Amino acid sequence: MNPAIETRELTRRFGKFVALDQLDLSVPRGAIFGLLGPNAAGKSTAIRLLAGILRADSGEADILGLNLNTQAEQIKRRIGYVAQHFALYPDLTVDENISFYGGLYGINDAQRRHKLLDLYDLAQFSKRRAGHLSGGYQRRLAIAAATMHDPELIFLDEPTAGIDPVTRKELWDLFYALSAGGKTLFVTTHYMEEAERCHRLAFLNRGKLVAQGSPGDIRNSLTGIQVYLARIAHNPDLNRDLMQTAGVQMVNQFGDDLRIIARNSVSREQLQQVTDRYSEQPRDVVPVETSIEDAFMSITSEPAASQ
Amino acid sequence: MIFALIRKEFIQLLRDPRLVAFIVVMPIILTTLFGFALKLEPDNVRMAYVNKDPSMFSNLIETNIWNEGYFQLYPVDEVADIQNEIRLGRARAGLYIPATFSADLVENNQPTVQLFIDGSMPSLATAMDNNSSAITDEAVTADMYFSDPDEPAAIIAQDPFYLDIDVLFNPDKIETWFFLPGVVGILIMQVALILTSTTIVREREGNTLEQLLVSPMTRSQFIIGKIIPYVVISLIDFYAILGFSWLVFDLPAPNSHAVLLLLAVTYLAALISMGLAISTISQTQQQAIFISIFVLIPSILLSGFIFPIEAMPSYIRPVAYIIPFTYFIDIIRGILLKQNLLVELLPQFLALLAFACLFTSFSILRFRKTLA
Repeated sequence: MNPAIETRELTRRFGKFVALDQLDLSVPRGAIFGLLGPNAAGKSTAIRLLAGILRADSGEADILGLNLNTQAEQIKRRIGYVAQHFALYPDLTVDENISFYGGLYGINDAQRRHKLLDLYDLAQFSKRRAGHLSGGYQRRLAIAAATMHDPELIFLDEPTAGIDPVTRKELWDLFYALSAGGKTLFVTTHYMEEAERCHRLAFLNRGKLVAQGSPGDIRNSLTGIQVYLARIAHNPDLNRDLMQTAGVQMVNQFGDDLRIIARNSVSREQLQQVTDRYSEQPRDVVPVETSIEDAFMSITSEPAASQ
Repeated sequence: MIFALIRKEFIQLLRDPRLVAFIVVMPIILTTLFGFALKLEPDNVRMAYVNKDPSMFSNLIETNIWNEGYFQLYPVDEVADIQNEIRLGRARAGLYIPATFSADLVENNQPTVQLFIDGSMPSLATAMDNNSSAITDEAVTADMYFSDPDEPAAIIAQDPFYLDIDVLFNPDKIETWFFLPGVVGILIMQVALILTSTTIVREREGNTLEQLLVSPMTRSQFIIGKIIPYVVISLIDFYAILGFSWLVFDLPAPNSHAVLLLLAVTYLAALISMGLAISTISQTQQQAIFISIFVLIPSILLSGFIFPIEAMPSYIRPVAYIIPFTYFIDIIRGILLKQNLLVELLPQFLALLAFACLFTSFSILRFRKTLA
């Protein structure tokens, strides 16, 4: 079977700004595909292009085996899209929102509606106005409304932004359930721990694709890089000193943990020497496994460092 | 603290170039327009006349009216034609000089000259009434006194002839009847424009537009689907306001309820499609409301609703004919006050229909299924 999404050199400019630069992406069917990138990397542009509400300046894309440039309207019947800002009508009830969005696709199926309300734990609120729901439930509703027509491919633009970890986990359970049901999910996020949850990932930086693969692939792809950990409290002078050491790419503080991303040209001893200058008792600098966040930081910091 | 807020508000206001345009340009355009348009000096008021007595005396009356420049005369055959011309709105006034005019004049029998005035526009009727003095002017009457030098001085009547003024349609010149049908139209226009001009912008501001765009719904479906509910709601509103006017102000009933309904539907279709067109070109709800007001004010002042179109300078008059409300006014006065038939109002109906088609097509073409 052809992939859910396949793009070739998809490009979109806004004036002089190249929001998306020759994107080549492949999303297998049934996968949860995560598109990661810092703010303004082109994630929303990419998802809007693929959902057919923004036109590409050049390049091609096949969505579910249909050509995006010529068969956009046919594609629309088979995809779902949950916008970044949760496009719900706050003055309509939960029930009315779902009915409306179903109606846009010609779906008027009370059974399906009840099934979705149960599935997304919304049945108890069916008569409540969408504007009076909590953030987490608004998102459930947005997803329920966008999947009323049972799309094969669902785009979710930052579905968990600003959501507490418990609700986030619950939303991910829903995504896994959809994926298990054979649906393909295309999710943008900038939460690293969410990246680990995806089957496949792509990193976007300044409109360009910088890495693509499974989370494991991406972690292992960082050849020539070693990540070190030191238990040391935040110290701006230490950070500056480390960054000035040739070959150190990034220092990242997590409470009392300092993660140092460095090229292989930098030795552990070199780093140890620098940190020793700033602590009364010696703190061991130890090599650790690369996390997705390390990979993300390393990849996205590279062009900046080379400038 | 308060300065921070003041500063922020100024920055936001000035960042919206369209809003700045509305704040500055709109008042300038409207002032210019009204400055030129709003002078109540009607001229070229069309007057149908029948002269059954082609004599020097009747010519004298005609010539004097011409010279006055207020009425623009054109001949018709019979008295009945005069009334019909006024009913159809082709003439605002009429003049009838009977066949026996000069004969009676010579005999000092004080003949009667009949002046007809369209009462459906009371302000114009009053003005015409005042201007009719040209007919009985001294320049006219001076040569109309006849006395036989051989006879003993007769008691000469003060005026050689009578001017009988007949106000047609709304004979009491009731201002309420003149204004109320228009007021109904204005109120409906306000409701319809403000409601619909914000409807697409609101979807945009609420981010729901994006969700609509990903659906397979077509542009036409979207626009038509937006028009119909507002037509229905405004229609109910229209009849509510009109019903209230009938009850409280004793407004005359229409000669045909079917024509009234047709008027309501075509007028609302024109207004609501116009509102949608506004919505497709606005970026914020604020802009949409500004444009609506920009449309609303000239509609009130330049449509013949308050000031007769005849009273406007000729170069402003074309503006009146690109306002849908102008045609609404014509039609509703026609069916409530002048007993006009549908076929007589056909041009006005076609104009309203044309507006509806124009604005609907514009909205469909203008509405994109993709984001900017």
